[in-house]
Amino acid sequence: MKKLLMVLVVLLTLGLLFAAGRTETKAETEAIELEWWTWDPDMLEQNQQIISAFEEANPGVKINNTIVGTKEYWTKIRIQANQNKLPDVFTMSSGYIEEWAKAGLLYNLDAFIESDDTFDNFYQSIFDSSREISNTDSYYAIPFALVTTVLYYNKDAFDAAGVAYPTDDWTWDDFRKAAKQLTLDKNGDGKTDQWGHWFYGRYAHIEPWVYANNGKLIDKNTMQFNPDKNAMDAIKMLCDLVLVDKVAPPQKDMTSFQQQDVFSQGVAAMWVDGSWFVDTLRKNVGDDMRWGIARVPSGPSGPSELTYGWPDSYAIAPNTKHPETAWKFAKYVAGEGISLDVYMAGKIPSAKKLAEDPLFADPSQQPGEEMNLLIEQANGPMTTSYTMGWSEWRGYGGSESLGLNGTIDAIINGHMGFDEAFKKGTENINAVLKRYYK
Amino acid sequence: MTQPPYRWHSKITPWVFIIPTVIGLLVFRLIPIVSSLYLSFTDWNLLSSPVFINMENYQELLSSEDFLGIVLNTFQFSLIYVVGSIVCGLALAVLINVRIKGIAFFRSAIYLPVVTSAVAVGIIWNWMLGPTYGLVNNLIEAIGLTPPYWLGDTRLALNTVASVQVWKMSGYYMIIFLAGLQGINRDTLESARVDGANAFQSFFRITLPMLMPTLFFVLTITIIDSFKNFELIYAMTKGGPQNASNTLVYDVYLNAFVYYRVGYASAIAYILLIFVGLMTIFNFYIKKHLVQSLD
Repeated sequence: MKKLLMVLVVLLTLGLLFAAGRTETKAETEAIELEWWTWDPDMLEQNQQIISAFEEANPGVKINNTIVGTKEYWTKIRIQANQNKLPDVFTMSSGYIEEWAKAGLLYNLDAFIESDDTFDNFYQSIFDSSREISNTDSYYAIPFALVTTVLYYNKDAFDAAGVAYPTDDWTWDDFRKAAKQLTLDKNGDGKTDQWGHWFYGRYAHIEPWVYANNGKLIDKNTMQFNPDKNAMDAIKMLCDLVLVDKVAPPQKDMTSFQQQDVFSQGVAAMWVDGSWFVDTLRKNVGDDMRWGIARVPSGPSGPSELTYGWPDSYAIAPNTKHPETAWKFAKYVAGEGISLDVYMAGKIPSAKKLAEDPLFADPSQQPGEEMNLLIEQANGPMTTSYTMGWSEWRGYGGSESLGLNGTIDAIINGHMGFDEAFKKGTENINAVLKRYYK
Repeated sequence: MTQPPYRWHSKITPWVFIIPTVIGLLVFRLIPIVSSLYLSFTDWNLLSSPVFINMENYQELLSSEDFLGIVLNTFQFSLIYVVGSIVCGLALAVLINVRIKGIAFFRSAIYLPVVTSAVAVGIIWNWMLGPTYGLVNNLIEAIGLTPPYWLGDTRLALNTVASVQVWKMSGYYMIIFLAGLQGINRDTLESARVDGANAFQSFFRITLPMLMPTLFFVLTITIIDSFKNFELIYAMTKGGPQNASNTLVYDVYLNAFVYYRVGYASAIAYILLIFVGLMTIFNFYIKKHLVQSLD
């Protein structure tokens, strides 16, 4: 009897354990269910509102939103892809489109786009930019926003130093001159209290200058890192700001700052980074400082209207059971069905009706009218350096001290000479690229 | 019909009790350990299926200049951590092994960094060690010296992070040493004092030898702990500048979760396992031949 009881206990324990791990089998229903994965936990409430509105307009469709924390998102969704369980619609980063499209993990959207009015409602330029980044001839993503890079400048500091605000026709000489005038030792202790400009090897700090000088980092024919003269001139100019002009600090001087705080705390009067920092600055600075945004000045090999910018997108699983509904929902959530207040300020909506909304350049919020620069950029030519293995060779996130980022930091920190650093850096970068493009 | 009370259980009973642990151990430890050995011979980006590539990962590792540097960094970190933790832990334990009013406050205060999140510790130390506005450098300047770049200098970054880790964890080893110290018979110490030994002599001739078993226990766990250095490196230097503070554990993270080279990361993890294994064998050897003779 007791033996039987024990066997029962064992079976029950095992049964419970397996039941906990097993996926629930759902009863077959008529309704179409779509899984939708996103990565920003702050969007929970907004996502629920979007879902309610979509479900109301499309009876019989049910959307399940899963929000994964930004840091775990890529690991989790890669495992979903590996298990053939990709959600029907999911957030896709420009940095991974090429790898995923070539691995057959993204739904080819060409047929949909050809047969409907997508480009009446969305900017084709943003879709095209996404296609170019994918390094294929097809559309694999539905961009919901474009991000670009701009020159942030501290209007208070400019006024105090009597320097005119940056304009579209600013040259690099104008920029350097302004940076010199804005570099100040306010208390006379021999140390700089306000730098004219600041940067380190970060992608969004460097590449806008490369493209503003019509430069290229990657040779698209060989898929090797082979910066041309224009690109090297841009990087040299930046390094000289630190090493020769001394109007920007070396990276090692700023290690105690969160990178977005250097500008907002008034330690540097100019800063080039992603347009999404408009939102951060509005929240962090408020009315304590007057600031603006301008186009990154064109180099001597310009003029260049080329913007460093890339879309944030949604993608559809290649094995979705409901491609039409998934496409409809993806377009809805990419802009058709949502309002401007859902966007992080500084991201440019890919849906025309949102980007053309007068509130995009809300005059009551900084930087007011200057926000129209972002729309101009969205309508102009764009480029990036995205390749497969980008985060490794570029040095991004957890590997920020390595790759091209580390190479540039080594120069401005005085650890290595310019040529020596680039020789070593190029070898390492091309070793990475060779693994991906054999 | 009645059975003696000790017969109520059958052979299966102990298994019932250990099943949850065994399942946990298998699923979260043993199966991953064995799988990652297989993965270390593959090329796997998580997206597709692993491709068997023989010894290529190991060949790439052993021919990489950076990897040798990372291995040396790992040992340098361990050395600083083990020596620093033992010296500081023991010194703190001796200092607070007194009965004065308010000692409980100091004991808690010294233990506090142990339970503080490593990321928070990293951020605070980043501020304090900051080159221009940092507290530490301002103090150094105040006495007329030129402060170094604690985290920006390739020669210093690793030492700095290891020292912060020592600062964070010393309180933990202090508690273990304190337990050891309080187990030492006070009569022995008093008779030494009566015989004319000074504080220095009693510490090195009586306290330290009697503390040997504790010391070797702490040595063992500091060696093991010294390899767990991911969080602070992530929070303070991200392995930089230029790999200067990159260690095997951080490199496993980079390859597995930033570059998604899971096979390569597994190979690094196995090399780390070999080092940890050798250290453990060395430890057992010391314990067998040294500690027992002192008991």
